[in-house]
Amino acid sequence: MEFLVQMIGQAVDRIVHGDPTLLATTWRTLWLAFLSTAIALLLGAPLGLLLGEGRTRARRGAVVLANAGLGLPPVVLGVYLALLLLPGSPLGGLRWTYTLPALVLAQTLLAFPLVVALVAAAVRTLPDGLLEQSRAFGASRARQAGLALREARIGVLTAVIAALGSAVAEVGAVVIVGGNVRGQTNTLASTVLLDLSAADPVGATADVLILLVVVLVLGGILTVVQQRGASSDRRALRRRAT
Amino acid sequence: MVADPPVVTAAGPVLRAEGLTVTRGRRVLLEGVELELRRGEVLAVLGPNGVGKSTLLAVLGGLREPAGGRVVRTGRVAAALQAPALARRSVQANVEAALAWWGVPRAARPVRARAALERLHAGHLADRAAQALSGGDARRVHLARALALDADALLLDEPFAGLDAPTRAELLTDAASALRDGDRATLLVLHDRAEAWALADRLLVLLDGGVRALGPPAEVLERPPSIAVAEFLGFSGRLDEPGGTVRCLRPAHVVADPEGPLAGIVRRRVPEEDGVLCEVDLDHGRVQLRVPHPGPAEGATVRLRIDGGVRFAREC
Repeated sequence: MEFLVQMIGQAVDRIVHGDPTLLATTWRTLWLAFLSTAIALLLGAPLGLLLGEGRTRARRGAVVLANAGLGLPPVVLGVYLALLLLPGSPLGGLRWTYTLPALVLAQTLLAFPLVVALVAAAVRTLPDGLLEQSRAFGASRARQAGLALREARIGVLTAVIAALGSAVAEVGAVVIVGGNVRGQTNTLASTVLLDLSAADPVGATADVLILLVVVLVLGGILTVVQQRGASSDRRALRRRAT
Repeated sequence: MVADPPVVTAAGPVLRAEGLTVTRGRRVLLEGVELELRRGEVLAVLGPNGVGKSTLLAVLGGLREPAGGRVVRTGRVAAALQAPALARRSVQANVEAALAWWGVPRAARPVRARAALERLHAGHLADRAAQALSGGDARRVHLARALALDADALLLDEPFAGLDAPTRAELLTDAASALRDGDRATLLVLHDRAEAWALADRLLVLLDGGVRALGPPAEVLERPPSIAVAEFLGFSGRLDEPGGTVRCLRPAHVVADPEGPLAGIVRRRVPEEDGVLCEVDLDHGRVQLRVPHPGPAEGATVRLRIDGGVRFAREC
């Protein structure tokens, strides 16, 4: 127990004194997570809107696929993406093997079904006829999309935070696609593996502590947003009841 | 190439349906629908549940493509659907959002939204959260934002649905005057004949997959063109008469009279607020009439006279 406390103390010390390698890894991890989530959101939110709004069998089928994508083991995606990026493979011409762009691509692909499924689910909870009514009053497609995202904002934000959280914590795909090259393609989560294999438990603990802080901050933001939404709904319901 | 903007003249229809076929999924709901909506008029569409009233409104409003025929619009058409579907923001912001969708410049929206709310006596709700409104207030706001658009043609789908009687009566009174403002053409899908009486210049009855009556309410309600339309419009009594004719009767056409020429047996009685609605079997038909409380018992014999009604050839 004493050993554990000492190790945590040393890890905190390393964080507080701004170990440059640790800072660089943290920055890279956050940059990767935010960039891949932004791309996934840009591509996935319109699709989620389309699927959430529609009632056809094809759209329901697509939602089932997106939901299934939530359970896709990152390692599976990592293996196939790594193979596709090998020289001579369809994406080999990009020369992305063991590079940051490959990591962005992997994390975007992992976040994409998450964003699609959660945005579609959020849009399905909108009041009946809201979007059709806006169309009946002349709203363009862009305005309808803006209205849907605004009204379903809690669900959309949940999707964003879930995507960020999974990107920050991702190990399997990062190691396979990015190679976990120290100083180039390693992230906080994957560095834990490097540090442990290099017999540096203090470094691994520091990585874990920063990861925990990031995840806690993201979770905190999500909780605040959800509680604000819920309490504004409760206030509205109380006013209606009186 | 940019199309010329539509020219709206006072005389011509703002909206015209030509041989319209309306479907829901693969099911054909309405066929051969022809109608014109003119400036300054209020046209009420009545029909039983499931006949396709709301689907027709969606087609006329451009929200759905017709399966056949065409809709000619010579002005801008707005449709207020049945569910108020207000966004999670204040009432004022909801009306302003509708104005934004309609293309009204930002600077003009607050004043126009406020005026529309005031016109429907909903100004005091402007700062309230839309999700905090009662059903009646939500409908009032929904109607106000539809009127705020100042469309050339306004299509309203059951604007009084689901309201309790006093709220409905209040909104009906306010709507009756608000709908008369300006020279907009208005089409109302309604469920209740009384609402049509209160609001409409012309009445269109949809039955059995098509338009079965079209004309001023008094004309259609007093002289329906067929037995089916008459029955839908509340002619609940039916008597077979000599010469192969059928007389359709509303309860108001049947009077309890001890000296009356007809005698019948009370089959059913439904107590109401102002009397008792009795269903009476006669030798050649069945009629309904209202009598004061307590009214005759079931199985009792009553004497009646007929005072009005509409005659049809039996096959009509």
